[in-house]
Amino acid sequence: MTLMTAHAGRRRWRRFIDGRVPMIVLIAVPVAYLALFVGFPIVYNLVMSFQDVNLGNIATWSRPFVGLDNYERLVDDPIFPLVLRNSIIFLVGNVVLQFTLGLGLALLFTLRFPAAAYLRGLVLAGWMLPPLVIGALWKWMLASEFGVVNEVGRQLGLMGETVYWLSDPALSLIAVTIANVWFGLPFNMILLSAGLAGIPKDIYEAAALDGARPVQSFRYITLPLLKPTIFAVIALSTIYTMRAFDLLWAMTRGGPVDSSNVFPLWSYILSFQLFEFGPGAAVATMMFVVVFAVALVYVRSIRHEAQA
Amino acid sequence: MNHKLLSAAAMAVLAGAPAANAQTVVDLWHVFNLETDMMQIGVAAFNESHQDVQIEQRVVPFAQLREELIRAVAVGDVPDLVVIDNPVLASFAAQGALEPIGDMVAASEVIDPEAYFAGPWSTVVFDGEVYGVPRASNTLALYFNADLFREAGLDPNNPPQTWSELLAAAEALTNADTSVFGIAFSAIQSEESTFQWLPFLYQAGGSLEDLRSPEAAAALQLWVDLVQNGYASRDVINMRQYEGTNTLIAGNAAMAISGPWELPRIAAEAAFDWEVALLPVRDDVGIRASALGGFNWAIPAGAEDAEAAFQVIEYMSTQDTLQYAWGTGRIPSRRDVSIPQPELPLAYLVFAEQMESATARGPHPEWPAISRAIQTAIQQALTGTASVEDALAQAADAIEPILAEQPL
Repeated sequence: MTLMTAHAGRRRWRRFIDGRVPMIVLIAVPVAYLALFVGFPIVYNLVMSFQDVNLGNIATWSRPFVGLDNYERLVDDPIFPLVLRNSIIFLVGNVVLQFTLGLGLALLFTLRFPAAAYLRGLVLAGWMLPPLVIGALWKWMLASEFGVVNEVGRQLGLMGETVYWLSDPALSLIAVTIANVWFGLPFNMILLSAGLAGIPKDIYEAAALDGARPVQSFRYITLPLLKPTIFAVIALSTIYTMRAFDLLWAMTRGGPVDSSNVFPLWSYILSFQLFEFGPGAAVATMMFVVVFAVALVYVRSIRHEAQA
Repeated sequence: MNHKLLSAAAMAVLAGAPAANAQTVVDLWHVFNLETDMMQIGVAAFNESHQDVQIEQRVVPFAQLREELIRAVAVGDVPDLVVIDNPVLASFAAQGALEPIGDMVAASEVIDPEAYFAGPWSTVVFDGEVYGVPRASNTLALYFNADLFREAGLDPNNPPQTWSELLAAAEALTNADTSVFGIAFSAIQSEESTFQWLPFLYQAGGSLEDLRSPEAAAALQLWVDLVQNGYASRDVINMRQYEGTNTLIAGNAAMAISGPWELPRIAAEAAFDWEVALLPVRDDVGIRASALGGFNWAIPAGAEDAEAAFQVIEYMSTQDTLQYAWGTGRIPSRRDVSIPQPELPLAYLVFAEQMESATARGPHPEWPAISRAIQTAIQQALTGTASVEDALAQAADAIEPILAEQPL
């Protein structure tokens, strides 16, 4: 009898250990981690965006709530429309160009040609450099009189006059977009390469036997099968582009005349240069809402794929 | 790294020692990484001569110091002593982030406000209370390449004295074939461009209170003329002072507006005969003017041991330490301190003289906002997105309400 109970008890304990406890621990650890290192900063920032914060009260909890004042202050700022416009152009430009060029390169590297693997590694080098360094390099290359880009353009006869990449307000946003595309391109390429490698070759062979031309193979095999990867790449590059800061800071500081100012820079300028912590937090909150929405779409799309 | 390990080991030993040997550590954040800087010299000397108080320094890049300090305040874990760029001290003080040290200064035998130049001292006072002590000062002057002067048929012994002479010299020195611009300065969207333009505003007879005046317009027009005539690269709009000086050193600019902190670099790297001159004055006005730069000592509110931190400030404010100021092109903020046998004596004389007409930025708790309005005006005018008058009127629209609330 006692033996039986002990046995059953042990078995119950076993089952408990095997089942619930590890599950609870496995869930609790990441939840605690997320709550502490992701949830807390987000909530802290959100709360701050509704408060009047200065250096005197920033370390305390006695910061007066001011409702939507910080957000109103942002929208009323004369540069708000400009920063919004810049941010949208920068985002769309980066995502579209990084994706199309990244896909082009990924397709190129599926072809077997000499040194293809090395060249692909070389393209990746750009992604391994710190953005601050890349920004400094591009600032140097795009210098009006002494920069290599204008010099090469002149030598090739492509440019008649000096192009003021970073000192012309009409061009600075284009210039920083080019630099950031160069920076984000390898990441897009490598993800798309991995996606392409995952498509079974025999499908292409079967299609070729049926008389499909390359364009048709691409349209009806590559694109549909690559769809999950494409979703991931676009979502991730949207998120990365919305966080871009160092590279732009190194190149223009948002100038001239805020012509390349985007939300992350503005948030930094408000918080760390103008001591306007509330409005700075409000910019960050607005960006977070957009990034969160994109991330949500992304996560839902993966779940959909996993179930299918 | 080795140093750090050693001091960590020393600390561990000390921690184990009896409490009688208890040591106060003053955490000091600053931006001076050169070993020849009086900061490094002073810290080493202080630590050697003091048993009970030791300085632990952390060198932060110039551009990140303000950000690091804001972060430290936000998490409530501040260093005991910092240096703050003088135009932003008032912002920190007004927000209660700095320890008022008026009582300690009044009781100090070393620090006598009367012994300091009025300009630097004004930057440590806010609302009648003292929040810091000036470390050293700097200001702007005109560097030029004497070789290029001679090549252009100009006399390097007679550098431009007035705005019109400056324009004429810049024109003569500009040479597209050899890729030389007449002059370089910094008009970037940051405090640096405000610092560089204010001298011209004051030389013109203008003031921050009245940016709609013809004087202010003349000062901005001078910069516009330099850029639009091609005497300065359009890239000045994106150049930090450091980068402007680079173009001088590289021989791509014949003149550059810059400060004495660049002297060690120019002396080491410029492969030509270079000189420094006073900034020119406006024709028929004749006002000598420049802007005052420099760092102030300050003790963050909530520092663990303000007394010990103040002891460090006192040590660093004596003749013994300040005599090394010129080693990295800094000028002591005290009248009663002398530099024995300064290196580059001619440059020293120029900067010391220019310092007499250097005006402090602010002090004003909203200085960053005032400065940003000026930066925007400079950039609008230089890029032609707004006329000089419109750009300044917009700046005035932003600045006037701030000054109405609290005058400079």
